[in-house]
Amino acid sequence: MEIKKNSVYSVISLIFLVLIALLFLFPFYWIVTGSFKPNPNAIPPDWIPKALSLKHYVKLFKQPAGIWFFNSVWMSLSSMALVLITSSMAGYVLAKKRFSGRKIIFSLLVCAMALPKQVVLVPLVRIMNTIGLYNGLLAVILPSVGWPFGVFLMKQFSETLPTELLEAARIDGAGEARTFLNVVCPIIKPAFGALAIFTFISTWNDYFLQLVMLASRNKLSIALGIATLQAEMATDFGLIMAGATLGALPIVIIFIAFQKYFTNGITMGAVKG
Amino acid sequence: MENEKALKKNKMGMSHAIQRQQNIVSYIFLLPFALFFIGFVLIPMGMGIVTSFFNYKMNAFEFNGLTNYIRLFKDPVFLKSLRNTFVIVITSVPLVAIFSLWVASVIFDKNSTFTSVFRGVFYLPVVMGTVPVVVVWKWIFNAYFGILNYLFKALNLMPQNLRFEWLGNKNTAIWCILAILFTTSIGQPIVLYIAALGNVDKSITEAAEVDGASKLRTFWMVKWPSIMPTTLYIIVITTINSFQCFALIQLLTSGGPSYSTSTVMYYLYEQAFTYYDYGYANSMGVILAIVIAVFSALQFRVMKTDN
Amino acid sequence: MKKFIAILLVALLALTTVFAQGAKETATTAAPATAKTEITWWSFPTFGLDGATEAELIKAFEAANPNITVKLEMIDFTSGPNKLTAAIEGGAAPDVLFDAPGRIIEYGRNGKLVALDGMFTSELKADATSAALLNACSDGTTYWMYPQSSSPFCMSINKEMWEKAGAWQYVNTEGARTWTTENFAKAMEALGKAGYVGLNVYCGGQGGDQGTRALVSNLYSATIANADYTKYTMDSPEGIKGLKLLLDLYKKGAIDAGMGIVAGDELQLYQQEMIASSICWGTSNAKNYKSDAYTQFVIPFPSEDGKPALEYLVNGFCVFNNKNDAKAEAAKKLIAFICDDPTYGPKAVKATGAFPIRASFGNLYEGDAQYELLAEFTKYYGGYYNTMKGFAAMRTQWWNMLQFIFSGDKSVETAVADYAKASNANL
Repeated sequence: MEIKKNSVYSVISLIFLVLIALLFLFPFYWIVTGSFKPNPNAIPPDWIPKALSLKHYVKLFKQPAGIWFFNSVWMSLSSMALVLITSSMAGYVLAKKRFSGRKIIFSLLVCAMALPKQVVLVPLVRIMNTIGLYNGLLAVILPSVGWPFGVFLMKQFSETLPTELLEAARIDGAGEARTFLNVVCPIIKPAFGALAIFTFISTWNDYFLQLVMLASRNKLSIALGIATLQAEMATDFGLIMAGATLGALPIVIIFIAFQKYFTNGITMGAVKG
Repeated sequence: MENEKALKKNKMGMSHAIQRQQNIVSYIFLLPFALFFIGFVLIPMGMGIVTSFFNYKMNAFEFNGLTNYIRLFKDPVFLKSLRNTFVIVITSVPLVAIFSLWVASVIFDKNSTFTSVFRGVFYLPVVMGTVPVVVVWKWIFNAYFGILNYLFKALNLMPQNLRFEWLGNKNTAIWCILAILFTTSIGQPIVLYIAALGNVDKSITEAAEVDGASKLRTFWMVKWPSIMPTTLYIIVITTINSFQCFALIQLLTSGGPSYSTSTVMYYLYEQAFTYYDYGYANSMGVILAIVIAVFSALQFRVMKTDN
Repeated sequence: MKKFIAILLVALLALTTVFAQGAKETATTAAPATAKTEITWWSFPTFGLDGATEAELIKAFEAANPNITVKLEMIDFTSGPNKLTAAIEGGAAPDVLFDAPGRIIEYGRNGKLVALDGMFTSELKADATSAALLNACSDGTTYWMYPQSSSPFCMSINKEMWEKAGAWQYVNTEGARTWTTENFAKAMEALGKAGYVGLNVYCGGQGGDQGTRALVSNLYSATIANADYTKYTMDSPEGIKGLKLLLDLYKKGAIDAGMGIVAGDELQLYQQEMIASSICWGTSNAKNYKSDAYTQFVIPFPSEDGKPALEYLVNGFCVFNNKNDAKAEAAKKLIAFICDDPTYGPKAVKATGAFPIRASFGNLYEGDAQYELLAEFTKYYGGYYNTMKGFAAMRTQWWNMLQFIFSGDKSVETAVADYAKASNANL
């Protein structure tokens, strides 16, 4: 147990933290309660919902919201799984292996991250159309795996790997694959957790990519589907809030599921003794 | 002879044979990612860059060299957008990095439920997605019935009959956007910092404290270097995200008022999708990419620890 | 090693299921036999949000044309235009689009559409309620759009609020309710004095800008464009006078200028009784922003001589040139069916809540007083300039100009001059 020298600092910072946290909690509270209010846009607003109503959810499910929801989940899960595999492998070698061309490759990755998506999207539509994947979930999943952010994250995390451990494994006679799986992966587990969540959410929220790639009603993501339910000048706030609450559900589940990978206590002390 | 050559060390201090083996292994590990990257990112990226040198509109496609680029630097709206973009980046990146580091440092070593709850709360704006976030903030900033004006009037900080448009005033609009950007940007860094701080070698930390170092000194000497790769990642990513901040502006202010919230990204989008001037838009994208790449390179320089 | 293989297998499984789903989709779409032509129809939600009307029309059409199948996709007004742009540039455009001339004529001008000249028969020209509506379908040389219905844009005022402020006396409650700019100014000042907001000149974006354009241009009978649609002309003395009047009212506190809002927000404010009038009223907005708490009184825009030139929307279809003659012919058959069929044509128009292009469809809204009033308004249609070159660019210049004027950044003369210069540069 560390000796808390500055307990005053601790108390003040905690109070400050709680206040700010309340500020962050508010929009979410507003959205969730609003989705259950018959008229979420009433003036003056009721802070604590007086009457509850499921009518927005009913309206949502009269539309193929179930399918949209499933599409979003499927796209996010698939890209998450693929990103975890490809990025961890690529990140590891970029961090720990001195191979020729690594500087160039890394620079290329940074440049790719730097270029705005809009520039890439229209040619991407053309490519997808040529290979026949346009208007399909794959058209969203595959490019998501190609974005270099995952590799970059894994590289940074892999850099903290003590090289001695890798040496030790090599001396013990482990091949590259085994070293990667048995030594590297357990250590960078927190990174896996973080990347899983980030990729899931980033694919889920990638509105523009979904917009240009998905056209058919039953292929839309939940965000896209809800947008099609908005009339030209009338915004159905209840519907948006219901959709947002629905959409937050799987994200919260994924968040909780992968949280345990964040816990510390990794055996960094394995090298000693 | 062959063996001698193979054993000779190369620039990186490895013998050629081992270098070859390392290369092969590395490229095999890179292959799965490379397939996706080349096919779905690099090639369209190349197409985008190439077409920036063309007069590429809905009904035109002819090579025009640097015309688009020259036009950019004479375009007052582009220059204003560039300035706004820089304001956003320079303000948000340090703020986000420092704030999330501070939050993470306060909560990472507490009881795990406590940590999880707070980590979750700060991540909520990201969880909600852009459209709901915009809906809530638009309501907060509303001139007629928004809660911000309501609070100011209740505290007598604003005349009762004033309907101040936070998003409609060219001086306040960009700060509103920054505030919202801030709330959606700190979630990820906090998660990462908590993980990184948790990964710091406990034994060294304990050793330092036993030696009598203060908490602040321990932080600076022990923790800070360990989390440097994370910090670098966070700074680079936040920079890129700030540079490319777009959906917020599109949904809230359409780049106004008076182009005060127009960023390069937004102007690019406007050129491509309103004016159908794809070539011009792409040239903007390339300039933005170059700026971001330079920024990132600088950041790497300053913060790189090894290699 | 075992673990490695296990993970590889899982990854492979994931990939194959993902690809399998993709393959299944392509397989089903490749199924139709060679005799059948399949066309895709993208529809903005003018018929309604759920596509029910479209589905009904498709069913009837396919029954009458067994060799054609129609795939429907609904798109929304916020992101639909972007989606279209990306699809067109990416080579994935639909065959049929149900939209308005603004975008359609632009696509036609840029060579993306199939010319529909053959569909503009003398029979159609004789049956059309107004020649202007047919003109809206061409870029001057070729017809790109086949029109279906039209609907006027007008104002709506809060009767009770106006009465309370003493502004009601300036309203003409007879006939087509036309009124003068002089009365408009007096009414707005009365509302302002009573502590209400007369109206809101929203200019935060391009949503609903036909409302502000109609208001400004009608005040002193200025025009957005000249008679042969070759120039944007808001920088005329009449235009400047109209803008100055509004700026004056704004400074007096009688009206607001929403630099951070668009039509959707203004309509909401009107519905919530936070402002006394709306300048973006029409048949669909009347439906979506209805309120029983007060009387929503519909009136046209004020003009100096009492004769307004109203803006209006035209709904119609276009056919994309996807280099497939069979599809193009099938597409033309579909739109002819929807617009001209004696049974389904009127049905479709009624579903849009707008008025038919064809006089032979008669009065679809018998007995509905509101609709009959709006039908009166169709007599006051102004010119249709939405199909001019550079229209989209002009729209952006327009709301930016309003922002510059109301924030005081530029004088009215400078702002309008800059607007005209920038808009005309795109011609």
